[in-house]
Amino acid sequence: MNTAGVTLVAAAPATIERPEAEESISLEHPWVVLVWNDPINLMSYVTFVFQKLFGYSLEKATELMLDVHEKGKAVVASGSKEKSEMDVYRLHEHGLWATMQQDAV
Amino acid sequence: MARAKPPFATTKKGIAINLGPDERGLLRTLIGEVRELLTTAPIGDPKLARLFPPAYFDNDEAETEYQRLMRDELVASRLDSIATVDEFLGDDKLKIVTFAQLDAFCAALNSVRLVLGTLLGVGEIDDYLDEDDPRHDELALYNFLSWLLDSAISALMQNPLA
Repeated sequence: MNTAGVTLVAAAPATIERPEAEESISLEHPWVVLVWNDPINLMSYVTFVFQKLFGYSLEKATELMLDVHEKGKAVVASGSKEKSEMDVYRLHEHGLWATMQQDAV
Repeated sequence: MARAKPPFATTKKGIAINLGPDERGLLRTLIGEVRELLTTAPIGDPKLARLFPPAYFDNDEAETEYQRLMRDELVASRLDSIATVDEFLGDDKLKIVTFAQLDAFCAALNSVRLVLGTLLGVGEIDDYLDEDDPRHDELALYNFLSWLLDSAISALMQNPLA
């Protein structure tokens, strides 16, 4: 997606993925980004946000949304600490209840 | 209540906005209230809890650093969306909205729902209005906002930005 989403996101610092961030993934335990179920965010909105932020297909985004809804949480992204923190920020920007943690969920 | 057109509809000219003056006025009031909270409420105000969730559950040091780095960004981003929406809702002649405007609308409207939903203690089953519920009127407003947001998302998803 372009226009709105990218403009908002590009205004935040450190959205550029640097090559060294890729290398650090294999050296340390990866971080995972979790989205937790909540009674306020609409299912359609959560699906839309997953597609917009991560470029997931409608099927993939819907599957993740249903995981959040039915199982209480889902891992929606993983990677370096820096990337995960930016993913969490963008999810918070959209009002989703996201946290990050290292390795085991 | 019969409604001739959905609030947002895909047309040959783009995404049409079908909101009357009362609806636009109500929405501008609500986003204005969220703007007021964002600019005046103290950090930790429970009304805004859902707008600033924790990033870490069990790492106070990292959480403090995250909030220090990101909180102002989160406030600025929300104020941007609200400003965009307030401007286009104030334009009575506007019949077609851009993707950027509708995207900002979703963000701003969801901020309102997060604050209102938190105040009302909304649960999963509150879609079903109970006439005896003391929160009846506020829940009706909340459901109206949910319906509007759903319409906006539907319009956005029918028009892939790629």
